[in-house]
Amino acid sequence: MFNIIIGQYVPGQSIIHRLDPRVKLISIFIFVIIVFLANNWITYGLVVLFSIIGILLSKVPFRFIYRGLRAIIIIIIFTFILNVLFTKQGDLLISIGWIHIYKGGLIGGLFISIRLLAIIVITTLLTLTTTPIDITDGIEILLGPLKKIKLPIHEFALMMSISLRFIPTLLEETEKIMKAQSARGSDFASGSVKQRIKAIIPLLVPLFVSAFKRAEELAMAMEARGYRGDEGRTRLRVLKWTGKDTALIIIMLMLTVALVVLRT
Amino acid sequence: MKVKTLVGNAIIAALYIVISMLIQPLSFKVIQFRIPEMFNHLVVFNKKYIFGIVLGVILTNLFFSPMAAYDLVFGVAQSIFSLTVTILSGRFIKGIWARMAVNTVVFTITMFLIAIELHLALHAPFLLTWLTTAVGEFVVMAVGAPVMYVLNKRIDFKKLI
Repeated sequence: MFNIIIGQYVPGQSIIHRLDPRVKLISIFIFVIIVFLANNWITYGLVVLFSIIGILLSKVPFRFIYRGLRAIIIIIIFTFILNVLFTKQGDLLISIGWIHIYKGGLIGGLFISIRLLAIIVITTLLTLTTTPIDITDGIEILLGPLKKIKLPIHEFALMMSISLRFIPTLLEETEKIMKAQSARGSDFASGSVKQRIKAIIPLLVPLFVSAFKRAEELAMAMEARGYRGDEGRTRLRVLKWTGKDTALIIIMLMLTVALVVLRT
Repeated sequence: MKVKTLVGNAIIAALYIVISMLIQPLSFKVIQFRIPEMFNHLVVFNKKYIFGIVLGVILTNLFFSPMAAYDLVFGVAQSIFSLTVTILSGRFIKGIWARMAVNTVVFTITMFLIAIELHLALHAPFLLTWLTTAVGEFVVMAVGAPVMYVLNKRIDFKKLI
C-alpha cells in the first residue's frame, strides 16, 4: 500500500512524455469536451482511434493503463447493462420474460461505455506520462491570467507542490502511528462504520500534531530564505514549447472539426 | 497570503489525500463513505482552510480517480460551493455545533451536483444516485462533526494556520 508512486508516473522518453505539460492539459480539456460530439459509429471510431494512437505513442506498458481502468470497469459494465435494459428505442432484438433488449439501447450503452473508456484512458495517459511537478507547473502557467482578477494562482500551485511533496512523508508517518496504536490495541481494519471512525481519533491527533510541526518548520525555513511570493521569482525548470506541441494542438483542432462534420 | 497559511493548507491537502488512500475500502461501494470529507468541518473553525480542503479534493480526483475529468469539475465545484455557503452562513450562525450542522446539511444537499455528474457520465438514475451519495456524505459529515470537535479540543484549529 505504501509504495504507491504519486500520480502513477511511469518514467519514459516517448513523444507523449516529452510534450509540454501545458499542451497536454489543454488537449485533454479539449478532448473531454469534444468526445460528447460523437454520436455515430464513425465519430466514435475516431475517438477510439485517437485513444489507441495515444496509448501506442506513449509506450507505456498496457498493464499500467489497465490498472487505471480496473477500478472503473465494474461501473462501466453496470452502466452498459442499465442502458441496455432501460432504453426502448429501435427494433426489439431479444425478449425473454420481462427483459426486452432494443437495438437503440444496445448501441446507446456501447457508445456511453466507449466515451467513458476513452476519457479515462486519455486522462490516465496524462498522469502516466507527466510528473506531478510538471502538471503543477503547467496548471500554474495556464491559470496565470486569473492572477489579474486577484486569484492566488501562484500560491495555489506552490501549495500543490508542497502537498505532493509531503504525501509520501505523511503516509510513512501515518503508517508508523497506525502501528504504534495497533500495538496499544487499536483496531483500524474491522468493525462497523462507527467503530472505524472512532478508531481514527487516536490516529488523527498525533498525525495532525506531527504534520503541523513539519508545516511550521517549513514555513520558517521558507521565510528564513526570503520567500516573498510570486513577484520576481524565477524557475528552476523552464517549460519549452516546441514543434511537436504545436502539432498536437493542430491535431486536436482537426479532430474537433472532423467530429463536428461527421456527426449526425 | 501568509507563508504559514500557505504551508498549513498544503499540509491539510496532503492529509486529505493520505487519509483517503489509507481508508480506501470504505469509499468504493454503492454508498460511498469518503472519510476525509469530514475535513470539510475545518472551515467552521477558520475559513482559511477552504484552500487546503479544495486542493485535497483536486489532487485526489486528479491523481487517484479513474474518472478524473468529470470528478474534477463536479467534485471541486461541489466543494467550493458548499464551503462558501458554510463560510457565509457563519456570519449569522454562531457556535461550533450549529455551524457544523449547517455544513453537514449543505454538503448533503449539494451532493445533487455529484448525482448530475454521474447521471451525465453514466446515465445513472438521478434521484437514486443523489440519495445514495447524499446518505454516504451525510453519515461521514455527521459522524465527523464530533470527531473534529474532539480534535479541535486537543489541537486548536483556529490558530493552526
